[in-house]
Amino acid sequence: MLEQIGSMIFQTDFVFSIFRITAPILFAALAAVVAEKAGVTNIGLEGIMLFCALFGTLFAYWTQNWFIGVCSAVVVGVFFALLIGFFALQLNTDIILAGIAVNTMSSGGTIFLLYMFTGERGNTAALTSSKLLIPTVEIPILNKIPILGDILSGHAVLTYVAFIMVFLVWILLYKTAIGLKIRAVGENEHAAESVGVNVRFIKYIALAISGVFCGLGGAFMSMYYSQSFNTGIIAGRGFIALAAQAMGQGEPVGAMFSSLLFGFAQALRTKVSGIQGVSSNLISAMPYLVTIIGMVIYAASTMRKVKRRNADKEKNQ
Amino acid sequence: MSNSKRMLIFELIRGAAAIGVAMLVALIFIFICSDEPMEALRYMLVAPLFTNGSFSLNSLYIMLANSTPIIFTGLAVCVMFSANQFNLAGEGAVMLGGFVAALTGIYFSTGTYADVFIAVFVGSAVCAVLMIIPALIKVKLNASEMVSSLMINYIIMYVVLHYLNNVFADGSKGSVMTFPFAATARVPALVAGSSKLTWGFVVALICTVIIAFFMYRTRWGYSIRMIGINQNFAKYSGMKVASVIVLSQIIGGFLSGMAGAVEVLGRYDTFLWRDLPGFGWTGVTVAILAKNNPIFIPIAAFFISYLQRGFTLMATYCDVPSEMVDIIQAVIFLFFAAEKFLSGYRQKLVVAAAKEELAQKAAQTATEGGNK
Repeated sequence: MLEQIGSMIFQTDFVFSIFRITAPILFAALAAVVAEKAGVTNIGLEGIMLFCALFGTLFAYWTQNWFIGVCSAVVVGVFFALLIGFFALQLNTDIILAGIAVNTMSSGGTIFLLYMFTGERGNTAALTSSKLLIPTVEIPILNKIPILGDILSGHAVLTYVAFIMVFLVWILLYKTAIGLKIRAVGENEHAAESVGVNVRFIKYIALAISGVFCGLGGAFMSMYYSQSFNTGIIAGRGFIALAAQAMGQGEPVGAMFSSLLFGFAQALRTKVSGIQGVSSNLISAMPYLVTIIGMVIYAASTMRKVKRRNADKEKNQ
Repeated sequence: MSNSKRMLIFELIRGAAAIGVAMLVALIFIFICSDEPMEALRYMLVAPLFTNGSFSLNSLYIMLANSTPIIFTGLAVCVMFSANQFNLAGEGAVMLGGFVAALTGIYFSTGTYADVFIAVFVGSAVCAVLMIIPALIKVKLNASEMVSSLMINYIIMYVVLHYLNNVFADGSKGSVMTFPFAATARVPALVAGSSKLTWGFVVALICTVIIAFFMYRTRWGYSIRMIGINQNFAKYSGMKVASVIVLSQIIGGFLSGMAGAVEVLGRYDTFLWRDLPGFGWTGVTVAILAKNNPIFIPIAAFFISYLQRGFTLMATYCDVPSEMVDIIQAVIFLFFAAEKFLSGYRQKLVVAAAKEELAQKAAQTATEGGNK
């Protein structure tokens, strides 16, 4: 049994599938990273992505253009992220509750809106055609290299975008003025306010950016991964992303690695579900368990560091 | 008029305004997508209680039955959120509680009427123990209980599915389900008929009274609420913050587990959930509508059941999908939770109260002065 699994893991199509499965989680994880850096917990990722997935396919269908579909998904993502922001920052709703409300709204709301706009019930399979999906790219030269070419070439455009975004988010957070402000607000909003940073505005910006990533992630799910929209399409990826953010210690690169871990576990699940004696359900539970363990280890090590620092301080005094 | 009375009236007006906004949204959507909007509206608002112009008792029973699990989860959320812990594992606890209770009812049946009590208690107790995990991670390591509880939901779901599919499935059935549990393990029906209204509803009301008493009349309940309001204050006034937080989560777990146990043992004769049932999330909405006050939980739960049944009936007889109810619920939820919604109006009320008080005092001194 283990040999069987082993031989599967070292196949190029398995590694290829890890990247494909990771991409949407990574988008959502980056959304969580940016929001959390500004001290905003965006638990509404799940619901926002579902709305984006729906409107991505719908706009692609209406305009018969996949690119406009993706852009519309991004706009919808920003809209819902700002909606959460409006209730949290303007009307003093607890941001976690505002996020939960958007999640509640999304599960039935998407079905309703889909019916209202198109008369379809539950999914958009009748509306999408292959030319409305996000296209894949063969990277020249790279695709000629054996193994590496099979793994890295031929992904959807957005898969590459997801991994490039890790780098861009890092630049945004650490090399730009706005990133500095976002981090300052997240670190200590009163201090940031006292030096003239508009805290509320920065939080809106961070939420809007996280909405952009939700849009990309949602569009990826409905316009490439599942090839059409249905309500179960996000399947907890928004929540997984929150975990990936926590496990990745709130940093873009860390979030990428924890997203890859989820991608790996999910790819493994689809692979082994056919093998006798392996429970695909238990394997599905693994990444969630690993997350909790990862969080505990990280939290425990931070705790110890803080304690040591405090002890050092006392000694010096 | 006393100040607290004024605030109560304000809260009522605010709630009515939130529901009003939501109804406006519903109205707009219905007019957009229905050919016969007035008929759809009638089904949504009136049909849950009146069919063909006469009062429908059965429909009322159905709504009370549907409100039973969300009373339990609403109470659970109420206790957990009161300690300012965003523990969302209630969702998973409902599924686990139902599953464990069903297994207890199948394999540990004594054949007496103690069965149902044992099954519900075991199902609830397992969930109570489970909730210690996110609580401990929070108080000992200061890691987000929200993330860990969300992860626990999925772990529970997959582990339950694993045991359901591979160990406890009744192979003779077409779809995956357990063997039927003992008749003595079923929660008995409260009324005859098809409404599925069981004694579970009565238990839910009893729990409401107990939790209300606990939260407002005991030292522990007071500590939970104090910690929710200001954790540092609670700590410096000598409360055992960590133990109180853990206790509040254990109670929440117990109630969530009970929701699942009572629902499964009352509504079905075998365990057949293949997915998280959603009562945990609805419980959050119920708790928000009840302003985290246990006494209002049954009213809020009934309101949600009424709304859901109204939309279901509307979808059955008119051309409006019932899923719209999620949008309406979320809108009500958002405005109820928005602290600053109508805060200007509250400000006016407070100012009016202060002025009245001043005027009264002035009048008093004037008359006193006159007497001298």
